[in-house]
Amino acid sequence: MSKQPSSMCPAFGAIRNLLRMEDAMPIVISSGDGCMYGHTFVAHFYVANRPIFSPGVSSQMWAKGSVFDELRDMVVEMAEKHQPSLIPICSLCVSDTVGLPFELLPKQIGNTEIVYVPLPAYSVHTHAKAKDIVVDSLVWRLPSQRKTRAGVNLIGEVFPSDPIRIDEVLRRIGTHVNTTVPGPRWADYVAMVDGSLNAPLHPFYSESVKRMKMKQGLPFVEGAPVGISGTYSWIKSVGEALKLNPAVVEAVAAEERDKVVAAMGDYPLNGLTFMVAGYEGHEFLLVRLLIEAGAKVPYLSTSVNTNPLAREEEAWLRERGCTVLYGANFDNEIGALEDHPYDCVIGTTPLCAHAKELGIPSIYYTNAMATRSLMFAEGASDVLSLVMSTYRSKARYDKIARFFSEDGVPKRTYTSWAPTIDITEHLLANAAAES
Amino acid sequence: MALKQELPSDVINTPIRKRVTDLDHAGGDTGAMQVFASLKDGNVVLDGPVGCHVMPAVAVINYTDSVPYLQNVTCSELSENEVTIAGTLPALKEKVGRANVPGRQVFIVSTPVSELIGAAWTTTDEGVKGSPLFFNSQSLDDDEWMARDRSLLFLWQNRDHFVRPADAPPLPVHARPSVNIIGPTYGCFNSYSDLAEIKRILAGIGAAINVVFPFEASSYDTARLSDARATVLMYREFGKSLAREVGLPVFYAPFGLEETTEFITGLGAALGLEAEAAAFIAAEKKSTLAAWHDIWRSTHSDFFANSPIAIIAPPSYKDGLERYLGGELGLPISYSAYRTGPESAPSEDVRAALCDASPSPMLIFGSINERMMIAQEKLPSRFYQASFPGAVVRRATGTPFVGYAGAVWLLQTVCEILFDTLFANLPTSYAPPQKAQKPTAEIMREGHDLTSDGSKGQNSVIAWTDDAKALSEKTVKRVPFFVRVSVTKKLRAEAERIARERGGIVDIEIVEEVVAAYRPR
Repeated sequence: MSKQPSSMCPAFGAIRNLLRMEDAMPIVISSGDGCMYGHTFVAHFYVANRPIFSPGVSSQMWAKGSVFDELRDMVVEMAEKHQPSLIPICSLCVSDTVGLPFELLPKQIGNTEIVYVPLPAYSVHTHAKAKDIVVDSLVWRLPSQRKTRAGVNLIGEVFPSDPIRIDEVLRRIGTHVNTTVPGPRWADYVAMVDGSLNAPLHPFYSESVKRMKMKQGLPFVEGAPVGISGTYSWIKSVGEALKLNPAVVEAVAAEERDKVVAAMGDYPLNGLTFMVAGYEGHEFLLVRLLIEAGAKVPYLSTSVNTNPLAREEEAWLRERGCTVLYGANFDNEIGALEDHPYDCVIGTTPLCAHAKELGIPSIYYTNAMATRSLMFAEGASDVLSLVMSTYRSKARYDKIARFFSEDGVPKRTYTSWAPTIDITEHLLANAAAES
Repeated sequence: MALKQELPSDVINTPIRKRVTDLDHAGGDTGAMQVFASLKDGNVVLDGPVGCHVMPAVAVINYTDSVPYLQNVTCSELSENEVTIAGTLPALKEKVGRANVPGRQVFIVSTPVSELIGAAWTTTDEGVKGSPLFFNSQSLDDDEWMARDRSLLFLWQNRDHFVRPADAPPLPVHARPSVNIIGPTYGCFNSYSDLAEIKRILAGIGAAINVVFPFEASSYDTARLSDARATVLMYREFGKSLAREVGLPVFYAPFGLEETTEFITGLGAALGLEAEAAAFIAAEKKSTLAAWHDIWRSTHSDFFANSPIAIIAPPSYKDGLERYLGGELGLPISYSAYRTGPESAPSEDVRAALCDASPSPMLIFGSINERMMIAQEKLPSRFYQASFPGAVVRRATGTPFVGYAGAVWLLQTVCEILFDTLFANLPTSYAPPQKAQKPTAEIMREGHDLTSDGSKGQNSVIAWTDDAKALSEKTVKRVPFFVRVSVTKKLRAEAERIARERGGIVDIEIVEEVVAAYRPR
């Protein structure tokens, strides 16, 4: 059984966000060609049609210690030639283990900031954590807060139109969106010094938030405007934190909540049981939506590790019969598939493959969900319609499962060292004991 | 007020021009030629001017079948002399005489010109076996499919006319039940691969092939069609009349897993090869279809429910693709229409439907007509060829649409197009990174004066006017779901870049500008 949480190379979470920056030229010190091939492959599929720069690495270079010299030359050359706003140095497993003297790199060359981003994937563990590291590394470079400031700093990747929608709502209560990170420009990060409130929308930006608190001393609002109660309480929290007019805040919060209620009415999930497993860190918000729309979600499996930012969200889920499993892995999830009659699975690649084998409609979390808007009424409609259309193809999945089974009953081909007990019950019991 | 002068050419040309722009089928003479020229011993003489020969048998055939030209086709080379004075017979006789060599069966095919002037074939050797046969292609009225159907029937009706030469290969003796395959001729989209797949299935269940008609047959094989135990009909567009006359159980080339399974089981029952058919299906699940099952279980299939497609093709392919991709795989069919035949949708209807579809189909199966609509109307859809007209090379036999292998190939193709769509919509194209304009300290000193209402907060989120937002959302909704996030990002980034440059907010003019400049690839 695998001991690590299920995730593709965690470092990619960071590389993808850095590659999305228009004025950054990330350097990736890979752990070899295989590592580089993997990252370029997924980057060119998921992220952007642009190159990743890397100093050549070989055992000889490591032995001679010449990697750092080449890196330094590269940084200087790239900064002088292309003058990007930012050159992030992503140090992956091997280089971070070898321990290059990154402090000897210049911090600025001309207008270009050079920022070291430590990404030893074997200890980063999750995609989400890597994203946290990027925000943390970049924000740490900024000076402390400006004296006069206003607006909300959104922290967490969202659907492109989300900040516009959030901004629109915030303006109605007397504030606005100041900036959103991760953002496409270095200036988006720099703008954080102007904000008067930090709002981590996803619960995995714990490291960044911790250091922001140290550095900026700003108030924080947790959660996101997702689902019925989430939308209401997020708007209320922002209003309270910024001491805005309570009557106006209440009116807007109630209005937005009612819109979500109306939107959800179109997608009744009553009586359906979902399995949700992801490694993005947005899982919490999705499960919240599903539960509010009437679905049963026995547990949420996330590769994110337990952290303070998730506590409130977790409590909310627990009250509604959903146990959160942090640092989950494939075997748990696949094993659990057979314990309960799931109607639909939103999960990781192998989990979905096995669910499909059993005739359960399923979609891959990252591709289908992770970058979809979840917020306000529009987000709820978007996501729930996708979930419904997936569930409605049940007959199709069934038919295929029967076709490929040998005796008319979908057959499980997965073999693991997982115990043959009811894993769902087992995990729920464990979780109950822990709490 | 000047009278609007109506030129005669306007009246004459308008309706013709309208059809010609988006024509979905060839004429009867082409269809007949494509059947007769497919026969190994067929020599075709088109009774028409050079163009009636060169166009279908040299120019077009090169882009439908990748055949440089059909060596066994010629024409009577009608000119104004024959058309107005001499009549076509002398010229035709000369060409027929040269084509009528031992071992070859000559087919004379009428063309619009010869039909118009009422030319006919008269000869003294009528009724003599192996003598040239005249086929009235009714090219002024019939389309290629009707002509193919009638030509095949014509061959059957004349089956006793054809002479089996002394040096012909010996008649095959089938130890196992045998099957005819009727349909493959020149100019049938993807027929090489589809035929190969049907043959593979027949071999898989242990059936022998009696005659592949007309593509792998000689004229004198026509009579042998009745020796088989069953007929596989490749297309619904033509061949039915012949199959009915031959009188054997008919099985249509199947699309998708379910239909193919029924096809194999049905054929097995008709041929007394039930056990072999069952064993073949079981073996296929572990070989050919292992790929299918793997792809199905991969994340690739997650996108299907949100990747609408449109299918515009002749009946066999249109219905087959719809049953498989829509019914079995679950891709929403946002629009489908027949092209060709009596139920052919007018091209204007197809255009309107494709433009109105919201979201636009991610992928349109069609001919070059639909491909041009995509370009002209700037639709964000991808195109995949599923019918003629349109230049394509489909000679490698690895691209079947029918059978189990066809199910795998189509599944793979759809996934590849999904990936391709994703690539084309990736948010960043290769360009040097934007240059840093100022040091970080200065950015902070200046702050961001980009708020719409002048409120004192620094705001890197540029405000959008309501109508700008509305237009942006409307535009994005037309984009296939699969890439909506990328397109939204692009649109937002570009609109805000312009707004930032102009020092204002995003208004509807900016969004219009961005939308107008947007190219899906």
